[in-house]
Amino acid sequence: MRNVTRELAHLSDEALVALMARSEQQALAELYDRYGRAAFGLALRVLRDETLAEDAVQDGFLAVWRTAARFIPEQGKASTWILTLVHRRAVDLVRREQRRRGDTLDEVADPVGGSVDEVAWLRLQRERVQAALRRLPDREREAIELAYYGGFTQSELAERLGQPIGTIKSRMFTGLARLRELLEETAPEMTWTPETSTT
Amino acid sequence: MDARDLHDLTPAYALDALDAEEAAAYEAHLGQCEACREELTRLNEAATALAWATAAPEPPARLRSSILDAAAEERWNVVPLLRRSWAFRATAAAAAAAAAVAVGVGVWAAGAHSTRVVSAVISVGPSGQATLRVSGLAVAPSGKTYEAWIIPAGGQARPAGLFAGGRTAVVHLRGTVPQGAVVAATLERAGGAKAPTHAPVFSAPV
Ligand SMILES: [Zn+2]
Repeated sequence: MRNVTRELAHLSDEALVALMARSEQQALAELYDRYGRAAFGLALRVLRDETLAEDAVQDGFLAVWRTAARFIPEQGKASTWILTLVHRRAVDLVRREQRRRGDTLDEVADPVGGSVDEVAWLRLQRERVQAALRRLPDREREAIELAYYGGFTQSELAERLGQPIGTIKSRMFTGLARLRELLEETAPEMTWTPETSTT
Repeated sequence: MDARDLHDLTPAYALDALDAEEAAAYEAHLGQCEACREELTRLNEAATALAWATAAPEPPARLRSSILDAAAEERWNVVPLLRRSWAFRATAAAAAAAAAVAVGVGVWAAGAHSTRVVSAVISVGPSGQATLRVSGLAVAPSGKTYEAWIIPAGGQARPAGLFAGGRTAVVHLRGTVPQGAVVAATLERAGGAKAPTHAPVFSAPV
């Protein structure tokens, strides 16, 4: 088992997805080892409940497993696809649980803070994205953070922020477009790399 | 909603900020609109960057094994029905008197975003006592519960236990499962029902 895992460690995410499409379970294990932690952090941020976060991560990774054959590399990175599936499950769950009902806007802020034992590459990614987010105009950041971490729909946001829906749409659009530019300025790829993940 | 409105939904879709109905309309549009597909690829990458901005505590170790176990089980479960039931017969015959018989069922249900596979494995012991292990079923909405049923051949459904769904639910079924019975589950009002009031979320002959 160990040997197989080590062999797979040299494969790209996309190669692992191709292996998963052929039902190679080791490829799923390897992808979980690369992104499970980020996925769990994300789900926890949205759901603020460990059990629900585990459910979201499990559902998300099983969706990854089932739909591997349908993954199209031209439409984005494998890591983005995996985290998107986990995020979707987390948002479905938070809406069902209505956990965020009655939340004030700033409660969507990260409740956990940095943890000491976080692996180095994850911390670097986090600091890089947080720096980019801080450079967004407040209203744009607010719209995309409430949507992404809070699980609010654009209509709910329009109501909550007392703005027409068109305004919310354009804040989301400019916010995301600007975030993308900011992230491109500060290079490194947001994917797992063997060198930095071995601690 | 006309096409121009649909193009406008790309950023919200990338952030998962559409309701189920809007998301379904947008996904249908996506199949026909190259421009939206390209824009979504870009915006999705930016939206997912937010995932990396959160603190990432170590997930519990059981999560990894739970995912891998469920994946392994599903592989077995998505074998086409006919072949699967053959496989069961072979297993059942070989196991004959002593061991438990496992029965699996794969259910595909279309959701707003994608498909979900529910797998149910029923282990029946030699004297008919049975355990049901269900994974992939959505958590029952508040005020509702899943209820398991044992339906003897030609008989009435007997309530066999309540469970909440979620990642993996293990239910020790109340009563015994006779040869030729069907085990099923329905979504019922909290507290359960005396007889099923809804179509089963899955059912499997044992
Ligand atoms: Zn379009």
